[in-house]
Amino acid sequence: MRLQPDAEGHYLREAHELDRGSLRAHAPGTHPLDSIAAGMSVEESRRRFFGRGMRGIGAVALAHLFGDNVHAEAPPVLPHFAPKAKRCIYLHLVGSPPQQETFDYKPKMEQWFDKDLPESIRQGQRLTTMTSGQTRFPIVPSKFGFAQHGKSGAWISELLPYTAKMADDIAIIRSMNTDAINHEPAITFFQTGFMIAGRPCIGSWLSYGLGSMNQDLPTFVVLQAKHNHPKANVQAISARLWSAGFLSGQYSGVSLRSSGDPVLFINNPSGVPTPVRRRMLDALGQMNELTYQKLADPETKTRIAQYEMAFRMQSSVPDLVDLSKEPESTWKAYGPEAKTSGSFAQTCLMARRLAERGVRFVQVYHRGWDVHGNLPEVLPSQCKEIDQPCYALIQDLKQRGMLDDTLVIVAGEFGRTIYCQGKLQRDDYGRDHHPRCFSLWMAGGGIKGGVVHGETDEFSYNITRDPVHVRDFQATIMHLFGINHEKFTYKYQGLDMRLTGVEKAEVVKAILA
Amino acid sequence: MRTRVLVLSVGLTVAAAAAPKPVDFAREIRPLLSDNCFGCHGPDSGTRMAGLRLDRKEDAFAARRRGAAIVPGNVQSSLLFQRISDTSDARRMPPPNSHKVLTPDQIATLRRWIEGGAPWQEHWAFKAPVRPKLPVVKAAAWGTSPIDKFILARLEAEGLMAAPTAEKRTLLRRVALDLTGLPPTPAEIETYLADKSPQSYERMVDRYLASPHFGEHRARYWLDVARYGDTHGIHIDNYRQIWPYRDWVIRAFNSNMHFDEFTIEQLAGDLLPNATLDQKIATGFHRCNVTTSEGGAIDDEYYEIYAKDRADTTGAAWLGLTVGCATCHDHKFDPILQKDFYALGAFFRNTPQRAMDGNVSDTPPFLFVPADEDREAHDKLLAKVGSLRADMRGSRDAAFPRFQKWLADGGQMPAEPLGKGVTRERMEKLDASKPFSVSARFTAPDKFTRGIELASHKISKEKNRGWQLDFNNKGILAFRLVGDDGKSVEVRTIDPIEPGKSTHVVATWDGSRRQAGLRLFLNGNEVIAQGRNSESQDLVGSISVEGKPNIHASVSNFRMVNREVTESEIAILGGDGLTWYLVNNDEAFKKLVEAQDKLNESVHEIVARGSITLVMQERTDQTPYANLLFRGAYDQKRQRVEAATPSVLPPMATNQPRNRLGFARWLFAPEHPLTARVAVNRMWQEVFGVGLVKTADDFGSQGEPPSHPELLDWLAVDFAENGWDVKRFYRQLLLSSTYRQSAAVTPAKQAKDPENRLLSRAPRFRLDGEVVRDYVLAASGLLSRQIGGPSVRPYQPEGVWEAVAMNGSNTRFYKRDNGDSLYRRSMYTFWKRSAPPASMDIFNAPSRESCAVRRERTNTPLQALVTMNDEQFFEAARYLAQSVMSGTAEFVARMDAMATRVLSRPLSVAEAPVVRKAFDDYLQHYAKNPADARKLLRIGVRSADPSLPQAELAAYTMVANQLFNLDEALNK
Repeated sequence: MRLQPDAEGHYLREAHELDRGSLRAHAPGTHPLDSIAAGMSVEESRRRFFGRGMRGIGAVALAHLFGDNVHAEAPPVLPHFAPKAKRCIYLHLVGSPPQQETFDYKPKMEQWFDKDLPESIRQGQRLTTMTSGQTRFPIVPSKFGFAQHGKSGAWISELLPYTAKMADDIAIIRSMNTDAINHEPAITFFQTGFMIAGRPCIGSWLSYGLGSMNQDLPTFVVLQAKHNHPKANVQAISARLWSAGFLSGQYSGVSLRSSGDPVLFINNPSGVPTPVRRRMLDALGQMNELTYQKLADPETKTRIAQYEMAFRMQSSVPDLVDLSKEPESTWKAYGPEAKTSGSFAQTCLMARRLAERGVRFVQVYHRGWDVHGNLPEVLPSQCKEIDQPCYALIQDLKQRGMLDDTLVIVAGEFGRTIYCQGKLQRDDYGRDHHPRCFSLWMAGGGIKGGVVHGETDEFSYNITRDPVHVRDFQATIMHLFGINHEKFTYKYQGLDMRLTGVEKAEVVKAILA
Repeated sequence: MRTRVLVLSVGLTVAAAAAPKPVDFAREIRPLLSDNCFGCHGPDSGTRMAGLRLDRKEDAFAARRRGAAIVPGNVQSSLLFQRISDTSDARRMPPPNSHKVLTPDQIATLRRWIEGGAPWQEHWAFKAPVRPKLPVVKAAAWGTSPIDKFILARLEAEGLMAAPTAEKRTLLRRVALDLTGLPPTPAEIETYLADKSPQSYERMVDRYLASPHFGEHRARYWLDVARYGDTHGIHIDNYRQIWPYRDWVIRAFNSNMHFDEFTIEQLAGDLLPNATLDQKIATGFHRCNVTTSEGGAIDDEYYEIYAKDRADTTGAAWLGLTVGCATCHDHKFDPILQKDFYALGAFFRNTPQRAMDGNVSDTPPFLFVPADEDREAHDKLLAKVGSLRADMRGSRDAAFPRFQKWLADGGQMPAEPLGKGVTRERMEKLDASKPFSVSARFTAPDKFTRGIELASHKISKEKNRGWQLDFNNKGILAFRLVGDDGKSVEVRTIDPIEPGKSTHVVATWDGSRRQAGLRLFLNGNEVIAQGRNSESQDLVGSISVEGKPNIHASVSNFRMVNREVTESEIAILGGDGLTWYLVNNDEAFKKLVEAQDKLNESVHEIVARGSITLVMQERTDQTPYANLLFRGAYDQKRQRVEAATPSVLPPMATNQPRNRLGFARWLFAPEHPLTARVAVNRMWQEVFGVGLVKTADDFGSQGEPPSHPELLDWLAVDFAENGWDVKRFYRQLLLSSTYRQSAAVTPAKQAKDPENRLLSRAPRFRLDGEVVRDYVLAASGLLSRQIGGPSVRPYQPEGVWEAVAMNGSNTRFYKRDNGDSLYRRSMYTFWKRSAPPASMDIFNAPSRESCAVRRERTNTPLQALVTMNDEQFFEAARYLAQSVMSGTAEFVARMDAMATRVLSRPLSVAEAPVVRKAFDDYLQHYAKNPADARKLLRIGVRSADPSLPQAELAAYTMVANQLFNLDEALNK
């Protein structure tokens, strides 16, 4: 049973209010969860307590599922306006693909092969310490060809033939820019709006603001996709990237793992079959009820409910990760890699299954994109891993009627330099980090398809039209979810903190449907 | 009874109907102004609008062109009121773009305040506390401590009463958990219940205060503040060795180090006169911050990040101020200028520490720490070595004329002065499992522009197998051995070698295959070298080579010896012949040499047993300073500021040094308004769950005002006046009647005091993640009670580290320990910052990446999954089951024993049948399904007792699992 928002999209607010109200003011014996201990389903018990329809009922459970902190600050009234997106699948390409070989076509660079990057273009801009010591900055054009695709005529690299097929479904931004020049701060900045760890990531903000849409899975799930090429340069990621920062921990991302327990500790110890666990929970509930009768601490009631939720998760997660019932057409669409556990293709499929089951935010990390060297060898492999699955994911969502309210994002954390890092050869080169311009694409969830936004100079070094800062990107995501990013704040250390920080951020209207 | 009912029912209506209470500026007005107005009319001069400032009385009341913002007693003339009540959207304050709206209630409160004469007080936290009088209470008979008077006075004002005293067993369990983080043992329960004297409670508290687990439990809280972790944190996130600091904190609490000393040693122990080893270890506090060595990272950026972290941490831990809010501009709400922030950070950046941690465990500055049992011997040995060296110098000086004569007479040191060394031809026979040494004299270039291989012998087609002595383009000298897999063990100097000088280097290898088996000597002295304690992989396979080694042209006198050479042999190898001459011609000198070599051997043994810890060190070539950064950007340096304390607080005494030591002492100046308040509030929070100031890290104007301001001040003054005695303070809290209440909630209390901020009952809250785990280990009997030492790797699901780690990280793979290390207290669990211990993380442990003064406490299904299913927890349940089965044969007695271990009490009459029925069902299942029983009993490393009936043991295990998951077991 899945909860649907009402016409105004207001169910969540009520969820929180009901939840808090019910926990604070009930008297012993009248708590809505009493009946759960008596073996009643959550739905039944809620219906009985509130004496009303679905709106109130499921909602209370939602607020409970990933934790309830009775004393936490009440979430704000959201959304601010009708949302276009209800959920998001964010595929982060960790390490950052080069825009020159993917979406930012620079034919003139052919004539610049091995010539130095003009100072008029670089303008003394800072470099990482990996190339700041280089005596020359020789330009390297893309080794890979481009062609125009779709009605929009978007230039897309030959490395992404499937992506090219859906040029009219996606909006490409070629004028992204960021403040950070190294991976750790850059990914953190993309995710949290701040380069130093400690603030909530996008998924946490949305979980906090909008709550859950399901009763037996987390609101915000993190997946890590494996990459294959042995020479791929791998960057670190860490739990801080899906942390709730100063928001309550219940809004952190929950890792769904491709090996071992899919959710940590989800499986009963071996030798404890479900009926035994059920029996244990019944006895546990009865004893906790006795504790409640003695001390009347509302947290005891919450705990009883959380154990029941845990039990439900134990059956819903195996169902989630059981891919055996996917039809042959699925495997065909997502490609041969989809059968490999943890592959990007399978991760995309899992992301779709999560979205289907009402998970609001699915964050995928795919590593191996940091092409400082061996670019011509590594990049085709990386692109191949994601190209068909991304296409399949979009088509899959479209067929299920979910693309309209599911936002899909495919992006790295910054761009790469037009000049070569290390020794330049026709067939072997690398590119260093470049924060001043890069490309990404978005689709679905209120994004206009067939749009190419922004432009860079002929060196793909500086932006010449419609710059989009990371903050603007974040503001746009919020907007698609019906949130005014300036108004969506959380008080921390006395400040009204928000994802986009204190500097100006603008919604990118040109890519909105 | 009648009175009580009256108070309760009337209390509610009275509050609504009575005449308005006078407005409390501190509680009602300042927070309102702060939240809604200070953003543009506060301390930050950079964004101040219309030149109006409302955070200071003189400005808020000052005459302006059109009048004063606030005219006491006159609402209509007060410009502030005009603007907040203006009907025009364009003129009304706060403006729409602030997204702030004053509610009608808030406007009414401001009106009442102005009408009442607009009384103004400075922000409470910036005035030094004065010991308040104890309030008068109606129920004067209640209460054992002055604390109780304050609590009761507030309860009475709210129409509530204190709860009755809790049962003896409840109290015992509560005290044991609060003082040691462990449940009471059955023996402790027995002792306490048997003690019928009126002092029994007090004596019980004292027993736990004396427990060595007291220090562990207190340290655990402090390590959140100190952001302690076992890895560097950023990017590669390699191992970092700093656990001796963690053990110092435990010792400090156990020895009841007073809070002033505790603070000064951690902030500036190295600067104290004749600083002891322990005082230096203590400075690890500010070496716990996360660091990076990410390729491409820019040094200046990270110098700023580290300084900011240290200023933020110091601000939160001791000052209760969010100083970091002034990184980019003056603080928006508190009178902390941007200049104050950089001046504060300046204290902590006058250090030789480099920006990049080098991905090694021993990023300098660091310190060698002998094992506890070696400390005394180590000191004595070093003293003896020192005096022997002096004797040898004397002998050399005396013998010099004779030596010169010998030289003049044609004397010469032989080509192989040590006799049976290895000749160059035989070098390829080198065996990685056997010791050897290389010795070379070379002249360093005047300027280091590129790296040079001084000497090497390797096979490039075998992944460079062999060895290499080199220095890099920064003059850092390194010696490395490369095994079959192309991976090396290496040792390198921290500082560059001296340019342009003739240098003698000796590198030795002990054949142990471990990184720590490498040593480096420059000009006869062992250098503190980096890398020796890293967690790098041991040398794999062979280092055998072919052909001849490559010797660089700058090297003269290259030698190789098939053993680890001694200090005196190094003197021979690197010397001009004098030492060789004396050893071979002077019996007395030879004896000195032998004595020295023997001592050095002992020293080396101690070094091999000891550890490294990171410490703070002060630069002596400059005084502490910083540059202001425009908008906090590292490449936007502005004016230079000297280290100084925030201007809103009392100034530093002029006779104190302007460094970390002066700063640390300043915290304890008698007129300091914050240190004591912040400290007592944090300790209060540990015991009562929430601080008197809920925002324990923010005592500024945006923080929450104290729930009991007088009590906070009383405690602060009392703490300072009693010498900052920490154990005394906890004792005082635990002896109060407030603490000894029952935790039972009544409907009235739930209505009026839902969060228990008034302490109308005992604190009851979910145990922290570490305690939840320790509790289960202790109750089951599995707990290892060893205190301190290197961090351990207990059970953790596979892949948690690998999922996030870099390929090259030495904390990529989690290798579970065995034996007792599986059952150590959770504070010893290896803390990888980019993937904290999974079960702790789920229970709201902070990531230890930045200072955390308080933890949140959520209640989630993921937590239920941990305590039900984690191998660690389930094994403990089985171990407990086994233990009660072995103890006695009868079900009721077994269940009493189990309940006593888990809940510190036998099962109640109501509970017993619930447990019995469940047990019967479990037993039935496992009797019918022996395969399930077998599987269940195989969980964990400890094997189950084969003599016990399997189905029964499995059923008892499920009962134990059930009890461990009780709300009561998970809560204080």
